[in-house]
Amino acid sequence: MEGLLLLVAILLPAVGSLMVVFLPWLNERREDRCFFVGAVMVLEFLVVLLIALDSERTLILFEMTKQLPIALRSDGTSRVFSALMSLMWTISGFYSFSYMKHEQNEKTYYAFYLMTLASLMALTLSGTMVTMYLFFEMMTFISMPMVLHNRSKEAVAAGIKYLIYSVAGATMGLLGIFMLTPNIASPYFVEGGSLMTGSLTIPHAAFQIILFITLVGFATKAGMFPMHGWLPTAHPVAPSPASAVLSGVITKAGVLAIFRMIFYVIGPDYLRGTWVQWALLGCATLTVFMGSMLALREKHIKKRLAYSSVSQVSYVLCGVFLLDTMALDGALLQMVFHALTKDALFLCAGAIIVKTGITRVDEMHNLGKNMPWTMWMFTICAISLVGIPPLGGFIAKWYIAEGALMAGTPVYSWLVPIVLLVSAMLTAGYLLPPSVSAFFGGMAHGEVASAYREKADPSAMMLVPIFILTLAILVLGIAPGFMIETFTKLANSLL
Amino acid sequence: MTLLLAIALPVALGALLPVFRLKTGNRNLYLMLATLLTSALCAYAIAVDIPALRLISLNNKLTITLRLDEQGKIFCALVAFLWPFAMLYAFNYMKDEHKQTSFFSFFLMSYGVTLGIAMSANLLTLYVFYEVLTLTTLPLVMHGGSQKSIRAGLKYLYYSLGGSAFAFIGLAYLVYFGGQTTFVPGGLFKGISLMHTQQLRLGYLLCFLGFSVKASVFPLHGWLPTAAVAPTPVTALLHAVAVVKSGVFAIIRVTYYSFGASVLAGSYAQYIPLALTTFTIVFGCTMALKEKHLKRRLAYSTVSNLSYILFGAMLLSAQGLTAGLMHLIFHALMKIVLFLAVGVYNKRANAYYVDQVRGLGTTLPLLGVVFTLSSLAMTGIPPLIGFISKWALAEAALLIGGPLPLMGVVALLISALLTGIYLMVPAVTMYTRPSQGNQLTPVEAGFKVTLATLSLVVLALSAYSIPLIDYLARTAAQAM
Repeated sequence: MEGLLLLVAILLPAVGSLMVVFLPWLNERREDRCFFVGAVMVLEFLVVLLIALDSERTLILFEMTKQLPIALRSDGTSRVFSALMSLMWTISGFYSFSYMKHEQNEKTYYAFYLMTLASLMALTLSGTMVTMYLFFEMMTFISMPMVLHNRSKEAVAAGIKYLIYSVAGATMGLLGIFMLTPNIASPYFVEGGSLMTGSLTIPHAAFQIILFITLVGFATKAGMFPMHGWLPTAHPVAPSPASAVLSGVITKAGVLAIFRMIFYVIGPDYLRGTWVQWALLGCATLTVFMGSMLALREKHIKKRLAYSSVSQVSYVLCGVFLLDTMALDGALLQMVFHALTKDALFLCAGAIIVKTGITRVDEMHNLGKNMPWTMWMFTICAISLVGIPPLGGFIAKWYIAEGALMAGTPVYSWLVPIVLLVSAMLTAGYLLPPSVSAFFGGMAHGEVASAYREKADPSAMMLVPIFILTLAILVLGIAPGFMIETFTKLANSLL
Repeated sequence: MTLLLAIALPVALGALLPVFRLKTGNRNLYLMLATLLTSALCAYAIAVDIPALRLISLNNKLTITLRLDEQGKIFCALVAFLWPFAMLYAFNYMKDEHKQTSFFSFFLMSYGVTLGIAMSANLLTLYVFYEVLTLTTLPLVMHGGSQKSIRAGLKYLYYSLGGSAFAFIGLAYLVYFGGQTTFVPGGLFKGISLMHTQQLRLGYLLCFLGFSVKASVFPLHGWLPTAAVAPTPVTALLHAVAVVKSGVFAIIRVTYYSFGASVLAGSYAQYIPLALTTFTIVFGCTMALKEKHLKRRLAYSTVSNLSYILFGAMLLSAQGLTAGLMHLIFHALMKIVLFLAVGVYNKRANAYYVDQVRGLGTTLPLLGVVFTLSSLAMTGIPPLIGFISKWALAEAALLIGGPLPLMGVVALLISALLTGIYLMVPAVTMYTRPSQGNQLTPVEAGFKVTLATLSLVVLALSAYSIPLIDYLARTAAQAM
């Protein structure tokens, strides 16, 4: 069994999760459980790294019916996504160890945290459309308890909204899977797609409508207009480390599904220049702008970050839909940097909420003096997200904008860069003021500051994960050579 | 003789139950033995090919004959497998109900009658058993004895009798033009140049509408949600499997074994049923979504799912029929688990409505898992069985092409979405904090055993169903 490692990558966190649930001795002391969960996550990351270094593998798990194999596969795309997701998951996981002291039901939280990791890894390693659909749905259902975590009325309403949007999106995706299956040469993912364009079973016009619906359906998880409504409701109600991964990592699952559909099933050549591409680009560009505008209006810090995710993930989608090597390169970079940045920002927000009880951006006056580390890192991440060089966010946006200019798509070759610029300004408008008032809030607000519960940075267990993320943004922003090389290679193989 | 015995044994033992005046323990033993014995007879009849048995000849055209062919075996096996579980469940469920003897007597008799439908060799025999099934299950619907139960029972009776009347006209057409009613794979008119195609199609349509009362196709579905007042073993087994699927089975028989797909394909006699079932698929789900009462919600879900099966069957292709038969079996398993779980919620936690199940997921963990699992399967999440049959249905429809089958695929997807909502919302609600402490009475082992076993079967079939599907595909190919 040469692809056994792929199965290990899925089973390791799944078994870990079950052990958390069923082994009482693991739960006797908090420390034991945290140590165990941490060990599982680190091991998992190592396994994923091994897969990334190994050559391409395929593993057929079983056949549901003869035409429906459930298969795993490691290739360029799955390596990038699985490494990124597993790393983010581990970092936020370590942060939870300290953060979750303040919440209830820790056992359930870790069980579902690990199980979601398992389903995410399975999603990245899926080798066929049906396998991907399977784990896509599974991920929705398994990640839902994280949204439901505090079981308040608000959380339940958010959870159900999340469920309905996700199931609706997946159903739209399923429509495409139904329609594509008779029209593709191989049930497995093939670089460049395997659509038999010459002999479609339904007319091209109808087929394109279906493809549009499918891609919009999968974009639900990435929060693209018109299926973005759930994201700002669902992400903020989860505990902060869970919001961090929901916003930073799980949104990328939507990107992954779109990636797979476009580059491994449909084939970019079939979409290039059709109205489907224009319409999708239109949705993505609109979302970039709209997300930023809504974030600007929102005062609740976690909701503001969630709206920011709506906008930022659509940058990635913009880059993908341009169907251009450069833009795709940018999309992958944006994906990595957004994951790092949004993770860090949510973790900072979590630290602020736990330490001071502040949840609104206009209450953050003078916070910089009380929580200097947290606020400094918050500021650096904010600057990266705005896209100011030399931080990571800049290089990603540069590539997408340049890709748009080079892709030769009418209208969008100038519209995309302009929207990116406007959105960058808006991002500055909604992320920098909290930092400004935190550092230069003035003494007039002293009485507000005195109402803080505690006036200190959180413990090292919470600070170090944020610090690692911030450092990564700095280092990778200055020296992105390795990443660009990898991504260019991947983009070239796909386009 | 085995066939006659399998039918007569439960009917006779059921009818004799009031005579014996047994104590509860002995009565349960008696019932369980009768059920298991019947199921064993069925298993034997399925394994060994038994020649046809002519019971009565009305004239040389019309006979009452028993025979178990490939198609009948599918339905027979399903019923014979599920009845003992439902019986075990009913022992626990009915423990503190009144009029238990009459309930169990009719419950056991219905078993025999349902087997009669599976074992009918011709349409007349099927029609007779079909009518008798209405009558033996009527007391079960009215069991509660309240005004509401009586009304539900009468509604069921009127709908069923009306349907039978239509079916009877179809039967008359068949006898007149076909000369006999025996079930022949491919239909009576296969390979014969037809003179009376128009009349036959009309006759078929009447037959379809008649039998679609029990299969609860819109607009003839009204009785099913109302009948949810019956005790849960009845709603679970009869109104998700035995009775409603008798309707579906009868339609499959009439379509493929009497009139034949070749007579109907490409005519209004195919398109009207296709359109009706497509509409029912969406309609049932929409009503389920609106309904807050758990059992009625599940009943509406059944309305929708029965039309999945009929939609597959009415595609009039081997793939379509295979997919329909797959869903016939898979839906039975998933829905019975859901109903049985809800029955326990009703009985032991006093939860009848969606918002009353708060917190039950943590207080009754096994039931919560089982309910969630079946809900996921019903929604059609791979690799669970619900996905496999829905996939097959969509594949078969796309293979046919054309506007109606495509509409059907869209209906399937809309319905999958709505199913996800109307079943997953209660599943999620179960894991929320209860508004006040639930008054729980302990849940008996019998409930747990039934639910756990059936769920394991669902899981096992999800993992490995290829031989079963192959068998269904062979049967469907024969029927063409």
